[in-house]
Amino acid sequence: MDLHQLWTIVSVPDNVPIVLLLFVVPFYTWYGLRQAFANDRLITQLEADPVMAKTHHRKIQPWKPGWAKEVHVWPFLLRIEFLAAIIVTLILMVWSITLNAPLEEPSNPTLTMNPSKAPWYFLGLQEMLVYFDPWMAGVIFPSLIIVGLMVIPYIDENPLGNGYYTYKQRKSAILTFIFGFIVLWVSMIVIGTLIRGPGWMWFWPGMTWDHNRLEYMVNQDLPDIFGIKGRLAKNIFGALVMGGYVVVSGWILHKVIAGTKLVVAGKALIKENAFRKKIYARMSLLQYVTMQAMLILMVMLPIKILIRLAFRIKYVWVTPWFNI
Amino acid sequence: MSDLEKDPVVTSSLSKQLLIWTALLMLSLVWGLWDEVYGTRPWKSYQARFVKVYSQFLGKQRPKEGDFEKQIKASAEYKKLDQAMQDAEKAVSAQVREIDRKVNEELVPRTLALNEPFQDLRSEIGALTYQIEITKSESSKNSLRADIDKVKKKVKTAKLPNPDGSTEKKDFTYDQMDRQLQDWKAEKARLLQQRVDLLKPATELRAKRDKFVSDQIADVSADTLAGVQRGLERFDIAIRQIHVKDIDLVDRCESCHLGTREPVTLTKAAMGGEAVFTSHPDKELLKIHDPDKFGCTPCHGGNGVAVASTVKAHGRHTYWLWPMHYPENVQAGCQQCHVKEIVTEMADSLNAGREIFRLRGCMGCHRYEGFDHEPEELTSVNQEIRQISQQKAEWEREIGFTTKKADTTRDNNEAQRLYAHADNLKVRISGLDAKTEQLDMRAASLIREVKKVGPSLKEVRMKMRKEWIPVWLQDPNKWRPGTKMPTFRLDNEEIQAISAFIWQSGVTGIVPTQSNGDPTRGREAFETRGCMACHSMGEGNEKQGGTFAANLSRVGEKDNHDYLVRWIHNPRERTAPYCSFEKRDLTADDYKKKGLPYVFDLDHTKCPNDGHELQVQQMTPMPSLRLTIEEARDIAAYVETRKHVDFNYPAADYMDDPKLKARGQFLVRYYGCAGCHEISGLEEEQRIGTELTKEGSKPLERLDFALLGHEAQAEKAPSKDDTRGWYTHKGFFEHKLQDPAIYDKGKEKPNKLDRLKMPNFNLTKPEIDQVTTFLLGSVDSTMPERYHYEPSDARQDIIDGWWVIAKYNCMGCHQVHVGQSTVFMKLARYQDPDWKDQKPPSLIGEGSRVDPAWLMRFLNNPALSETDTNRDGVRPYLKARMPTFSFSDGEIRKLVRFFAALSSQATPYIVPKLVPISDQERVMARQLFSSEGAPCLKCHATGDPKHDQRATAPNFLLAKERLKPGWTERWMLHPEMMAPGTAMPSGLFRRDGDRWVFAGPTPASFNNYPKDHADLLVRYMFQFTPDELNRLRSSAAAGAGR
Repeated sequence: MDLHQLWTIVSVPDNVPIVLLLFVVPFYTWYGLRQAFANDRLITQLEADPVMAKTHHRKIQPWKPGWAKEVHVWPFLLRIEFLAAIIVTLILMVWSITLNAPLEEPSNPTLTMNPSKAPWYFLGLQEMLVYFDPWMAGVIFPSLIIVGLMVIPYIDENPLGNGYYTYKQRKSAILTFIFGFIVLWVSMIVIGTLIRGPGWMWFWPGMTWDHNRLEYMVNQDLPDIFGIKGRLAKNIFGALVMGGYVVVSGWILHKVIAGTKLVVAGKALIKENAFRKKIYARMSLLQYVTMQAMLILMVMLPIKILIRLAFRIKYVWVTPWFNI
Repeated sequence: MSDLEKDPVVTSSLSKQLLIWTALLMLSLVWGLWDEVYGTRPWKSYQARFVKVYSQFLGKQRPKEGDFEKQIKASAEYKKLDQAMQDAEKAVSAQVREIDRKVNEELVPRTLALNEPFQDLRSEIGALTYQIEITKSESSKNSLRADIDKVKKKVKTAKLPNPDGSTEKKDFTYDQMDRQLQDWKAEKARLLQQRVDLLKPATELRAKRDKFVSDQIADVSADTLAGVQRGLERFDIAIRQIHVKDIDLVDRCESCHLGTREPVTLTKAAMGGEAVFTSHPDKELLKIHDPDKFGCTPCHGGNGVAVASTVKAHGRHTYWLWPMHYPENVQAGCQQCHVKEIVTEMADSLNAGREIFRLRGCMGCHRYEGFDHEPEELTSVNQEIRQISQQKAEWEREIGFTTKKADTTRDNNEAQRLYAHADNLKVRISGLDAKTEQLDMRAASLIREVKKVGPSLKEVRMKMRKEWIPVWLQDPNKWRPGTKMPTFRLDNEEIQAISAFIWQSGVTGIVPTQSNGDPTRGREAFETRGCMACHSMGEGNEKQGGTFAANLSRVGEKDNHDYLVRWIHNPRERTAPYCSFEKRDLTADDYKKKGLPYVFDLDHTKCPNDGHELQVQQMTPMPSLRLTIEEARDIAAYVETRKHVDFNYPAADYMDDPKLKARGQFLVRYYGCAGCHEISGLEEEQRIGTELTKEGSKPLERLDFALLGHEAQAEKAPSKDDTRGWYTHKGFFEHKLQDPAIYDKGKEKPNKLDRLKMPNFNLTKPEIDQVTTFLLGSVDSTMPERYHYEPSDARQDIIDGWWVIAKYNCMGCHQVHVGQSTVFMKLARYQDPDWKDQKPPSLIGEGSRVDPAWLMRFLNNPALSETDTNRDGVRPYLKARMPTFSFSDGEIRKLVRFFAALSSQATPYIVPKLVPISDQERVMARQLFSSEGAPCLKCHATGDPKHDQRATAPNFLLAKERLKPGWTERWMLHPEMMAPGTAMPSGLFRRDGDRWVFAGPTPASFNNYPKDHADLLVRYMFQFTPDELNRLRSSAAAGAGR
């Protein structure tokens, strides 16, 4: 256990936000979900008691009969926000006094630093470069992330959950978000910051970042594993595999979105869901297709990471223009 | 609604939390302010402390200086000067007062009063004149001119003040005013000049009085101290920075290092133990490199802008590329601009580092610009010669074509043009020939200049017993502690193969058999002829002599007598000449085939096969002492007695095994032996190491710390303001020099050839520091080119000359610059009073002493004779002897210009014309020369062998050609100033009015002689003839007989 190394990594001013992230993201996820579950219990209570539902529209916990239905922004919201502003200012003050801007030496065009890392908020993208062709990881995925975020309001047909935390009413939205943000974005940033060392090699926390480290690793393209030769054959094979993936994942995702039952070997993997059925019925074809495409691509990312790490597969589909 | 349970959103209070957090926020604000004002500005507290300790120091110092000054001022001398000054002032005071009154009370107020109306009119006229200039029509111009005349005729009344306070009204026109003002101004100037003239004696006396005081005080006067103290009282706590706009440099070092440039010398003890406030230790250096022009960080390193902490300001953290040098390496800063030099004044440690790099053979493997450049230069000269000959052939062809074309053309003009073109080409070809001639000479020079660090290994078969070689290779430093040869990490197999290759590749030749000499005489010769200026003898504490060449204490164990005699007699003598064109040693057969005698020496340097320049010398800097063969035998005999009694080398029959040769050659090439030694078949080998010219600025990441990188980073640095451990350039160099294999530590390298091959030079700690200093300074300088020391005047000659001086170890015998000691000065024998004057002469001021043309001849042949070479041309009375170095023309030129430049002499030297000496003057001078008051010939050599045995100074016959008259006169007047401790008597002349006269009794003929006696003697000496010498000698003999 190289504590000197660990401390060096953790204490670099550049990495302080990431260390904070490690604690803050789980905490607020938990905190938000706790509120959501409390509200869900209230929702159940209100649904069970139509009289109360009529008189008490406050949708958040804690709640007691007789409390005001609504409170004013001023002072009840603003004073809390003011307190929050004070606390955040205090944190920023202390931070800026104790940690200086992480300036390093003047850049030298003939000497690349190793590891050479992007700013922390881009480290997720940089980590993706390990698994995908730069064209994919550097251009296509970032664009799709932006496009995907932009289309959310247009494909979201669920009207519930405005102005209050709820898990029950927005289960799929919350799970998708947790998957996209925490699994695909934050954890990749954490890996890129704390785990990736010289040569962009995988160093567990506490391992010495040794510049001399060598690792034997051979990555192969999927067609090569199957012994397929010839450019055209490889191309066709890759396209077939990708097509297969799209069909299978699309089919499973469809079952989820549409809320229909999926039975595999006599076991119900996905149960029927009346709520989702209702939402699905409201969606137009365009909304549905967009959502499907985004979800298929989103799921592809961890699958690719997994097969790269587990089976040393470099690319599945190799073409002269792009590789997946 | 239940009152008990109020809605917490509405009823809960946040005041407590708001209070706490607001208080914390306020605290952070205070913290932030403190951090802003003090936390990130530690220099403020430094400045406050400085004012405190400095005031205390001055408080203690001032009364001391004050008392001392009071004493001086109480002295009679001071009082006399003061009185004289005051008398002079008093004598003119009435006149001065009158002038002051007139100027200040009359002229100035009246001028001011009149100036006002005058300026008024002048601006009016100016405006009108401008209108004339821009008006087009002549009539309007005329009308404007008329307006000007009108203005000029206007009468203005001026109120002129009188000295008594009343005013006087007076009318003026413009012209009158102008005239009046001019008159007053002239009057004022006249009066002021008069005032200056009146006060001149008093001013001069005051300066004299003040100088008397300042001459008595070594450091600073009480007045200065008081000034400093007054300054401290008004001390302003602020950043102190040097801004050199020119190079975009901002250095704030003096914000903390406040004592650096104080007029008082501040020591650590005086400043309460705070080293940060001490003065710069070398004021002389600061005079040359004024901090206002050079800043601090260009020399010292560090981050001049940073003031937030010592770590940042000193730049000793990972991200500052130019960290401050440690004290032991501080001279690294010199190297970046003085990169062309081998000797830099005031940088002893850097000089030592460069010398190790040169002398110990680092440059054999590592290229460094300027070091051992001759082989490269030779290649480029040869290249140029080839290009010129191609050009010549091309032009010759063109001449042929052009002429042919001109012969056949019908157009007369065209034909003439073509002929002219052909003629031009012919003339240009002759220019090429001249250039080729110069290049050929340069190539011949360069071949002479190429030297190797180690001895030639071609000669081993004749030179030594072979069993010694493997023993030596095992650990040279063990066999001969302090040797130049480094220790390679060789195993037995490698040693055997290398020895076998060296032995088998040696050339064979015949060395004349020599009879034995007399070791006792040999020892005397060895110790007195000058061998010890380079070589040392004796082991351990008994070691005596120079370190430039090998210690000879065990030579008797290995060398052959015959070869050794030849070597001592003339070390440059080669067994066979080497042709770099054919890349082999020539044999007698090569000469025989061409019908030539097998003769090769400095006069026969052309290859019989292809006409190229041959290497006809051993590439050693060791010179010939022009000893007789008998003396060489004696010295050899003496050296051979030097051996361990119990030496015993195991038999080495494998060295004749031809199977080992190929492997040996591979290893010799692999380890780069040819970098320092001349080896058959490997003469044209390239250097095997990395170039070090810019090693100090190589990115740290490119220095291979191998597995030690993390250890280096985690270990403690030599200073607490350093956060980098020894993961620095300094650390890398020091560890590498200490143990060149260190970066192989822990590495898995089963193949020996993969391991680091740099051998261990067994350097001591100070030597490591010196080399590290040199390497740390070897950077891509951050200073612009014009700051580099590349003078275009005579100083360049000094730079060039030092390389030659260092190359041939001139400083082993001679003092070349002030304060330098020679090997001779330290030898035990020369401490004896009888031997003191036997030391080789000092060369300080040599350039002003000797005629450069003579010096050139002397350096070329120090015997100053073609036939009688067993002598020293100038000082035959010295046992030590100026050897023949066989300098190349280029080296002689450099040396002569070096000495001239060191003594600020103009080049070329034009011999001054002296007034011819009259017959009468000659008689007078002759009488003085042989008089008892000036027994010149007692010490100076005369050419009479009996007399010269006791002579201790050169022959006068040499003076005319050798010396410069100006120097000769200065020498006669004050020899003790030029060479303290010289045998030449001082005070021979005394000042009489504006001439020098002989101080002792003068012959009667000197009565009524009005001219300068010293000058007379100089003229006499410079018009000296052998006849005159004989005449003198006989009269001196007669005088002695009397």
